[in-house]
Amino acid sequence: MHSLKHILRRAFRSLWEHVYLNAMAAMVIAAALLLIGVYLTVQFNLNAIVDTWERDVHVSAYFHSDVPEARRFSLRDEIANRPEVASVHYVSESDARAWLVQRVNDLDPVLTELGDDALPASLEISLTSAQARPDAIAAFAASLDPSDFEDIDYGQEWIERFNAFLSLLQLLGAVLGSLVGLAALFLVANTIYLIVYSRKDELEVQKLVGATGTYIVAPFLIEGAAQGLLGAVLALVGLWGVHRVLVLRLQDALQLGVAGKLAFLPPPYQLLLAGLGILLGITAAFLSVRRFLMTAP
Amino acid sequence: MIRLYHVHKRYGDISALRDVNLRVAKGDFAYVTGPSGAGKSTMLKLLYGAEKPTEGKLLLGGVDVSKLSRRRLPALRRNMGIVFQDFKLINSRTVTDNIGLALEVIGTPRALIDRRVSAVLGIVGLRGRGQEYPATMSGGEQQRVAVARAIINDPSILLADEPTGNLDGGMAIEVMEILQSINLRGTTVLVATHDAGLMDRFPFRRLRFECGKLVKS
Repeated sequence: MHSLKHILRRAFRSLWEHVYLNAMAAMVIAAALLLIGVYLTVQFNLNAIVDTWERDVHVSAYFHSDVPEARRFSLRDEIANRPEVASVHYVSESDARAWLVQRVNDLDPVLTELGDDALPASLEISLTSAQARPDAIAAFAASLDPSDFEDIDYGQEWIERFNAFLSLLQLLGAVLGSLVGLAALFLVANTIYLIVYSRKDELEVQKLVGATGTYIVAPFLIEGAAQGLLGAVLALVGLWGVHRVLVLRLQDALQLGVAGKLAFLPPPYQLLLAGLGILLGITAAFLSVRRFLMTAP
Repeated sequence: MIRLYHVHKRYGDISALRDVNLRVAKGDFAYVTGPSGAGKSTMLKLLYGAEKPTEGKLLLGGVDVSKLSRRRLPALRRNMGIVFQDFKLINSRTVTDNIGLALEVIGTPRALIDRRVSAVLGIVGLRGRGQEYPATMSGGEQQRVAVARAIINDPSILLADEPTGNLDGGMAIEVMEILQSINLRGTTVLVATHDAGLMDRFPFRRLRFECGKLVKS
């Protein structure tokens, strides 16, 4: 049996002897992972935004104007006691008017013209985070009696559209990610094949003196893993640079405060990227050496 | 040791070997001879498993090489030594590394490899030259390194494809003397050559091929 030390020694000797081609392979992997990393960052941040919105599930239930105040308070108390409700706040017609006037200048004369009940009274209901799913919110809204409430608004349509957009983005990401991955695999496999080809005579001799496929392939797999790891590190450094320079500036320019600061890829995603790089390098190396072994004498 | 039964080898429409029947006993020394294109190299390639016969059966030490899978080929080659006209040495490795390769691939400890390399360097007359690189040596010396690599694992059979083809007279004789001494230790030796002078000087059995047919055995 060959010791791991022996295989590592052969792998690192080859890495050193073909440093230029190995660097090329690592750069190709880095480029592919950078694209995938950008996609993952966008995806991660959009998910975080949706998560924040969905955790803060808010329902506005607007009373019919003819519902008496006593009934409104009893409904408020009844809803407040429901387990799925985190808090309920009653907003009277005058509270609503005061809130709007405070935010929109010169609106007071218009609202005076329309009368005291220009804006309906409402219950501002916050649901618990367990109710964050769109179907649960819809079920809660449906449970409110239409004879009491004129309108119920919970931004359902918008959330559903955004979720649909995210699903589309995920699908697009999967397709583009696969294409980028395949293109990188093709390029890296051919780059590694150049290394294999430059060592053609040596590998042929190894075969002729009785080396097994494993003996020949193992150092190349380690070489591929090293290229993948280096590629992943380069991609993460690149991604960090893009995040710092571009994304943060964009954030400032557009004043994107909606979901807090746009985050860099969290460690699990970084590990995923490193794993992808290593897998890409190993697969490319395996395909290249196998191609050679199938044709060597 | 070596048995061929009705062996044919075709490359498309071209027949490289035609209905070859042959027996070489253990410990024999034989030349595979004939003009260029007669099938000498093809015959050797079949023996070391680089090619498979189109038809027929080829037994090597009782093993049917024609049916051997790629996975089992390394085990066959570890029991044979192969010498080529162009030496097939790795120029970026020292003489010791080149010779030791045959032991390295089977996981032999380094210390044992160094001892065996030192011993075979003595056999081929290159004692103390282990740290040199092949490219700095003469053709005859390089071929002796190749022979040393071929015999380091004590193979039962040694195949040499035109081993003296690139060497001048004196060096060719030196290499033949080494092959002869290896044969005297019990190794079956098969040498593909068309050098009649050499065959006259070292008279052994001749397997003569013409247009793929074994015409004299």
